[in-house]
Amino acid sequence: MNNQTKSQFVAVASITSELSAVMVVAKEISLAAANAKAIAFRAGDKAKGFQPITDFINELAKETIELVTSINVYALSLYQLTVNEFRKTNAYNKFELVAKMSKDAPYAQSMQQPLEHAKLSMELCQRQFKRDVKQLLDQLEAVMHHARAARVIAANSRIEASQAGEYLQSLQAVAESVDKAAHTIHDNVQRCRIALSLYRNS
Amino acid sequence: MKMTKIYEGSHQWIMFGRDENKPANIIDSNQYAVRTANRCLLLDPGGSELFAPMMAAVLHHAPVEHITDLFASHQDPDVISSLGLWDQALSGAKLHAPAIWEGFLRHFGCESIEYVPIPDNGGTIKLESVELQLIPAHYLHSSGNFHVYDPQAKILMSGDVGTALEAPGAPMFVENFDLHIEKMRYFHQRWMPSNQAKRAWIERVRSLEIDILAPQHGRVFKGNDVKRFLDWFDALQVGIAV
Repeated sequence: MNNQTKSQFVAVASITSELSAVMVVAKEISLAAANAKAIAFRAGDKAKGFQPITDFINELAKETIELVTSINVYALSLYQLTVNEFRKTNAYNKFELVAKMSKDAPYAQSMQQPLEHAKLSMELCQRQFKRDVKQLLDQLEAVMHHARAARVIAANSRIEASQAGEYLQSLQAVAESVDKAAHTIHDNVQRCRIALSLYRNS
Repeated sequence: MKMTKIYEGSHQWIMFGRDENKPANIIDSNQYAVRTANRCLLLDPGGSELFAPMMAAVLHHAPVEHITDLFASHQDPDVISSLGLWDQALSGAKLHAPAIWEGFLRHFGCESIEYVPIPDNGGTIKLESVELQLIPAHYLHSSGNFHVYDPQAKILMSGDVGTALEAPGAPMFVENFDLHIEKMRYFHQRWMPSNQAKRAWIERVRSLEIDILAPQHGRVFKGNDVKRFLDWFDALQVGIAV
């Protein structure tokens, strides 16, 4: 296995790991939303502006979880494709070696068809890998949108929290946790994108 | 890769082995081909490291499209880890291998090749007019293990039974049985786990007419050396690691 293939395996496998961390954080946001809703309910009129925000936070968390779930399925199929590509490339290299080693064999010519077929299969896999990487990058971009939206919501939450009197601290803590979670999602997804972008045009 | 024709009649048996270019740290193995007019069966076709030299050697005897059947005596990597490569090289081929190893062997890659599971009590492989018998050899050494007997050529391809651990470039045939014993003893005592299985196999094999006993490693036994080997193996205590 050459270094590029090794890096490709690591990149694709690391996506699943990064995304499972994103999933944990998205669930934390969902919990923060439930918590915020309870506080806002207790605060009544003092947190009137905060109440609709809790619904946004919850919706955002739900969408992120759904998106990550579907990306995970995609990432697993990309891993399978990487395995296939490795197998096809390995076969093509071995078949080339057979062709070289069997030059003086009476039936050497019969190796041409498997060799050409292996080449086509390998190239098909490589093209499909690039296509799938591009699609996965697009899906990751959608998660980034969610992370950015979560940060805007966190900023709005801070403003609304400042008007909530004795509930200020509790609601600010909610805003902080949403902001922190949005940062984590952003960083993890960004790492996935950097790892994958190497293969988009390789 | 050396090629030696060990039988020539209505069909041929060719032995492949002693590959000079193989990495030093992998065990040398013997591969066999049974060639009829339009078909070719490869027995224990070898590990993935050996695929290219093996295929290149086979092309001296048969075109790719004539390689219709593979046989794996058991699941070991030196026997069949090349499966994923044969799978991509051959079209419409069959792999005859122990039924109990199917789920395991498919890890090597088996998408286009048809896996023909051999039941525990054995079976046959028909290659045009040649009918080969699949002789149960369970626990010698693998829990699902078969040998191939050709009643026309009187050859028994005996998998790991008869193996000798030797220096590279050893001759293809046993020349002095007494001197050969020490090259076989440890392997059989350590790799073969069951005296009961060994006795059952010897009883079964003694009823066959065998001119050549062809193991997967080491040298081939001919003529009286076949009986000498069976007598020696019969008396040997195996399963020494416990």
